[in-house]
Amino acid sequence: MMFGLEVRNVAVAYKGKSAIRGVSFKAGAGEIIGFIGADGAGKSSLMHAIAGVGRFSGEIVYGGETYRSPAEAEKLKQDIGLMPQGIGLVLYETLTVGEHLEFFASIRNLKRTDAFRTYRNKLLEMAGLSAFVDREAGKLSGGMMQKLSLICTLLHRPKLLILDEPTTGVDPLSRRELWEILDDIRKSEGTIILVSTAYMQEAAKMDRVYLFDSGEIIAGGSAEQLIDSVREYTYTEIPCSEKQRCFSFDKRSYSLAPLDVPHAEPTLEALFFVNALKKGYAMPKMELEARESDAPIPDIVLEAKALTKRFGEFVANDRIDMQLRAGEIVGLLGANGAGKTTFIKMLLGLYAMDGGELLLLGKPIRSGEDRRTLKAKIGYVSQHFALYKDMTVRENLLYFAQMHRIETKKALVRIRKYAEALGYRAYLDALPASLPLGINQRFSITAALLHEPVILFLDEPTSGVDTIARAQFWEIMELLKEKWGITILITTHYMSEAEYCDRVVLFKEGVKVADATVETLYKEHPEAADFEEIFMEYYR
Amino acid sequence: MRLGVVKAYILKEFAELFRTRLIVMVYLMPTMIMLLFGFGIRMNVTHARVTILDYDQSHYSRVLTSKFEDSKYFDPMVLQITEQEALRLIKQAKTEMILIIPSSFEKHLLHGQKSEIGLFIDASFPTRATTMENYVQGVILQAASEVSPQKPQSGMISINSRNLFNEAMRDENAIVPGLIGLVLLVAPAILSALLIVKEKERGTIFNFYASPIRKHEFLLAKLTPAFLLHSVNIFILFLWATWLFDVPFRGSFMLYWFSSEIYILISLGIGMLISVITRSQIAAVVLTVIVTLLPGFLYSGIILPISAMDHESYIEAHLFPVMYFNHIIYDTFLIGEGLSAATNRLYLGILVVYAVILLVLGTLFLKKELK
Repeated sequence: MMFGLEVRNVAVAYKGKSAIRGVSFKAGAGEIIGFIGADGAGKSSLMHAIAGVGRFSGEIVYGGETYRSPAEAEKLKQDIGLMPQGIGLVLYETLTVGEHLEFFASIRNLKRTDAFRTYRNKLLEMAGLSAFVDREAGKLSGGMMQKLSLICTLLHRPKLLILDEPTTGVDPLSRRELWEILDDIRKSEGTIILVSTAYMQEAAKMDRVYLFDSGEIIAGGSAEQLIDSVREYTYTEIPCSEKQRCFSFDKRSYSLAPLDVPHAEPTLEALFFVNALKKGYAMPKMELEARESDAPIPDIVLEAKALTKRFGEFVANDRIDMQLRAGEIVGLLGANGAGKTTFIKMLLGLYAMDGGELLLLGKPIRSGEDRRTLKAKIGYVSQHFALYKDMTVRENLLYFAQMHRIETKKALVRIRKYAEALGYRAYLDALPASLPLGINQRFSITAALLHEPVILFLDEPTSGVDTIARAQFWEIMELLKEKWGITILITTHYMSEAEYCDRVVLFKEGVKVADATVETLYKEHPEAADFEEIFMEYYR
Repeated sequence: MRLGVVKAYILKEFAELFRTRLIVMVYLMPTMIMLLFGFGIRMNVTHARVTILDYDQSHYSRVLTSKFEDSKYFDPMVLQITEQEALRLIKQAKTEMILIIPSSFEKHLLHGQKSEIGLFIDASFPTRATTMENYVQGVILQAASEVSPQKPQSGMISINSRNLFNEAMRDENAIVPGLIGLVLLVAPAILSALLIVKEKERGTIFNFYASPIRKHEFLLAKLTPAFLLHSVNIFILFLWATWLFDVPFRGSFMLYWFSSEIYILISLGIGMLISVITRSQIAAVVLTVIVTLLPGFLYSGIILPISAMDHESYIEAHLFPVMYFNHIIYDTFLIGEGLSAATNRLYLGILVVYAVILLVLGTLFLKKELK
């Protein structure tokens, strides 16, 4: 078989720290190759090297040409398409969708033939953006931005397409559409597609998958081969005891030593756990003490009645009713732009309400004083983990504590306690930028918990976070629910995570379309194999 | 060079400049600096408040007092108070000078004896104090010569100064042309500093890294909009100078125009170099302001002529482009020798070399890869 792309012994180092060590692999025309692995495992570095935008050692052969540096890759760039990581990263906020396509066509020096126009319109059609040609990119939803970025990257018909987490932060519906575009392109154009992803269901659809760990590829093959390799370590879920070296997540338990329960069918996520077990990575045992405050939490913590938010003509939230009860985890789901973040911002008191009523602990929120009370009772973890990157973890946490007027002495005690409980004590004096996303996520949660709120809001806390960190995240949520009995409202694009929620609320175009327990929803949709299919039902 | 590629980038830059309202800054900032500094800096003194204590009450003393009253440089108050009380006024900042005419003033003069006039000056601002002192001396000399034109004024220095090129001694003439050199150094540099680093901060720089567009195409596309937009400022600033501030223009407009365009290229080059080495917009702007505004002001010739500088400052002045440009600018406005003067030809040459070096350095330092 002729290989279109060959990566030979490629290594990348930043400031003396190695990001990728001696990686080699091959890919042929029309193949989709998946890169999976924890945050910081080196996937992006390798992609930058192959796209010719980052320095590397070793050599890369593509289309018969060999290159060892970005300068040597220059002559191949007409055939390469790179979509770097980050929602709408390569888009210009003030340019419209149509102007973007014009710009990307021009910088690739494309001839404006009829064939070009047909292809351009086909891409717009596939991305569902035909009706939005005159809309500015800054006003698109995250999913639309990613689809626009993708078609801009596809416009010059690259023969080698490199996509770095194109679907992170994108809703299941848009994700499915993105994949349809990719599948179509590789079949019609014979494009080699390299794509990294944090969604294992996506990885399962690829021709070959490489698992990255600490700068190396530690496993590779088709999804079936990889799943076969971990089948013997996968069991149905049991609570892992202290002594057993085992992990439990998403209805399964993983252990190298045999367990006394039947085996379960693994997914690609099993790779992460089995690898962690084999490498002897310690999974910190999470423990959480009860809150220091002993003020009782009433049954209904927060109640929204016909809450409405308008932006000009556009109704972002239309008369939404919702009750949040103590000791409950509520999952807020919906496509990008369905109004989830707007709703949370209204609950937080960051947006003024245009209609309806909000009650906290039975009292209506009206004045500015009410809003301050509201903020003191709420913990909030934003999409981007609002941390100060020039301060250490400890300094960051101390700053948040001081914002809530917690005495320094008391705050330091609490910080140490949480750092221990959530297993990041070793990182207290490190700068956030040097830490993996999973650790940053845990201490962002701490920052939101320091003032012992009665409600915790988390906006896409698991987007882009690797499987093990997600497992630990849900362990923390369970502990909070159990030991603190507080309300947790969480948004996510991982449909499998909905199953960890006591109740699921679904938004569609600013309207609440479902509000029920996961079991009830499964009963209402008996034909659905997983929660993603239920979600799709509402968007059909 | 593929013009279609460059054109697409240029159009994109223009669209962004207009839609992000950055265009307002392009035209507001130069005019603002011009108006602020043009009206704000005053070197000569008018309406200095002088308190006159006339202890003589004679004909001569009244002639002297009336001279002060006639002058636009002074607002005199003739008071009948003691010296102590007058000194209190100066401490309370109610007057800036005290002029004391002694009781035997006229008698002494008529007898050809030396007479001493007392003068107290508030010297909190030394340059203003020196200027005021000179004016007072001038007024007194003038009064004395009118009173006794035939009598030689022995023991008194006759000052016969003549101001060249700025005969009217107008501040505007001395300051405003220099401001053009300051403005055209600062404003284009800030804009071009933002252009590349903005894409780095946002992430859109990947479009440059990952596409076949060449470095010089990219830079040409980035600098052209800034160059064109700021070229308009050359004319706007000229209008402010000649129309609003009434500065004469004696040289060749073509020379003014051409050297200003070269000078804008230098400024863009400085901004571009900063944009290439920095990673955030805020760092780029702060660095640009420090690198351009301070030397631009110090060595513009507004505060101090370069020829009057010594050692270090003289060398420093020659390192920055503003000195060469302002030499040409002051010439075109106030003198008009133009290219017939060897210094002007040399300095214009230096500016061209300066621009070329900066643009070449920018192209060399710009890397098509992640740092």
